[in-house]
Amino acid sequence: MTGVISGSGQWAYVAAAYGITVLLTGAVLWSSWRAMVSAERRSDALRKDRR
Amino acid sequence: MHAYANPTRFLAIARPLTPWLLGAGLLLVLAGAWAGLTQVPGDYKQGETARILYIHVPAAWLGMGGWTSLALAGLIQLVWRHPLSGIAARAIAVPGMLFTALCLATGSIWGKPTWGTWWEWDGRMTSMLVLLFLYAGFIALTNGDAGGGGGQRQGGSLSRGAAIYALVGAINIPIINRSVVWWNSLHQGPSITLRGSSIDNALLWPLGLTLLGFSLLFGAIVLMRMRRIIADNRVSARLRRLADDEGN
Repeated sequence: MTGVISGSGQWAYVAAAYGITVLLTGAVLWSSWRAMVSAERRSDALRKDRR
Repeated sequence: MHAYANPTRFLAIARPLTPWLLGAGLLLVLAGAWAGLTQVPGDYKQGETARILYIHVPAAWLGMGGWTSLALAGLIQLVWRHPLSGIAARAIAVPGMLFTALCLATGSIWGKPTWGTWWEWDGRMTSMLVLLFLYAGFIALTNGDAGGGGGQRQGGSLSRGAAIYALVGAINIPIINRSVVWWNSLHQGPSITLRGSSIDNALLWPLGLTLLGFSLLFGAIVLMRMRRIIADNRVSARLRRLADDEGN
């Protein structure tokens, strides 16, 4: 027995699970990196201006 | 621990650590996913869909572990008022919510071919959904007023209300953990406990890679978000000083 849906049809579900993980994790990693880099750039620029 | 509550000392460690966590995390996740998809056999009962466990289980552990860390940070903020604890709590919320959402999504995708349904209102799934809503509530509470009101104070720390919300929400963590024992559920019972695992080693080993890899990625996201909050705080503080100087 291999579940309610068996055979090669199961791979579509595996691909969907891995695909959604790559998309969401990638989006959070990318947005966190971009936000950090631009915030630190702003902070450094303001510090240099003060000097 | 008090020594590293200083943002400058924290940044001296966080800056070099972030790319290492990111790189090692990505490599381990890729290795674990490759092994889970190509190097281990399908399960004799669930077939190929059992391969979803290599992402579903780390997502579940990190969703719950994230809130546990968030509640600890809230407690530290309430008791010791460490400057970084509130910043850490706010930085944990988004990756915590991400992995909780991934746990629910991958669990649902696993459920359809295995149980014949995308969703069941049983103890495990419902309590996990409550955790997702708790994260959303915490993010709304702490981001509701960027000017420093609502759930966040000046300097990025948490308000008393947000810290208490984090602590109260932690009640849900043991409920999620014990739900499959306390109530009848479509979800299987605990497969991995302190006493060992009911999953055969032939299937289990890629889980170690993805678990460690996703944990490192979680850490990298938390560090990146903490660094952003600290940089934003510094910009705000400098702009306030500039405005004060011009006013005098």
